[in-house]
Amino acid sequence: MILDLHSHSIASDDGRAKVENYCQWIERKGLPLDGFVLTEHRQFDDASDYRALEDRFGLLILKASEVETEYGHVLVFGVNDDLRAAFDFARIDNPIAMVLAESERCGAVAVPCHPGRPKVGMCAHWETRGPVEGVRIVETLNGGSREGENEIAERYAEEHGWSRIGGSDSHIVSHIGRCATRFEEDVRDIDGLVRALRRGRFDAVRPEID
Amino acid sequence: MTAEELKRKFTGWVFDEIDLDITSESLVGFATACGETLPKFTDPTDPDFQGVPNYLTRIHGTRALPEDFPVEMHRCFDAGKSVEFHAPVRPGDRIHGTSEIADIYEKSGRTGSMLFIVHRMNFFDQRKTHLATVDWRLVQREFDA
Repeated sequence: MILDLHSHSIASDDGRAKVENYCQWIERKGLPLDGFVLTEHRQFDDASDYRALEDRFGLLILKASEVETEYGHVLVFGVNDDLRAAFDFARIDNPIAMVLAESERCGAVAVPCHPGRPKVGMCAHWETRGPVEGVRIVETLNGGSREGENEIAERYAEEHGWSRIGGSDSHIVSHIGRCATRFEEDVRDIDGLVRALRRGRFDAVRPEID
Repeated sequence: MTAEELKRKFTGWVFDEIDLDITSESLVGFATACGETLPKFTDPTDPDFQGVPNYLTRIHGTRALPEDFPVEMHRCFDAGKSVEFHAPVRPGDRIHGTSEIADIYEKSGRTGSMLFIVHRMNFFDQRKTHLATVDWRLVQREFDA
């Protein structure tokens, strides 16, 4: 099963894609995706309900968040009320150790994304501020990365034994599915995604190439 | 002042208002510049002649920000406009526009921290019909509260 674990809709301030248009694009282009996760910036989109689109297009559409820390951006899967009460998703300076620990405590999974990116990626901060405890998974394939940035992420994952996910980081329709994550097991909902991420049987892929 | 303090102080109130009259020439000129070819946007004799839906994005108020807003313009850039279209603009309309700061927030990007200021203009015609809501985003780089 292949899911794009990192995408943004118009619910993000810089997102230009409607979720329905993502679905239409996947269908029209025949992309080998079984679904995607909306990771809106600095918020959790409680209001939107995509069940009708899931049924219409036969896709799994899940919701998560991309929060910001002093070590860069972090995807959080399995957002719940406890986690939302634990820290302010809107802040750009959340301590990464706290985000990782609170996610673990609340039954969610936190994944530093585009870690090879300057300023908003974990690796550069790792060099200057020191290591971070609690990292288990990182996004080694990010569709918005510039040359060399995914390679930095891959090198860190290799050195530290972290698991790898992929996500397109799409903000416009045509970028969906540029990178994704292949799971060995079926994922049917957000709880299933969290379980699958905890089990670790997945890998980052480029669906149109791999 | 932090982004949250700025938001509390400056959002939610009108700081500028303008009035202007709409001419056929202005509607045609903007539509043509946009590459529009439909007669209802380019031909004043068309029975449904009106402005293109994004016409009102060309209108600015008399000020970009409220008086005393602490912004460092040398670090700012224009992050573009979005428009929510409600009703068409017609020639002969007298438009009333109001400006307010709709939102202020921070984000971090490749170049560091940024402060986003959302300048919202609402436009109404002489019948008080709400024509459009235009959000203009101004970004200040290297924002450090």
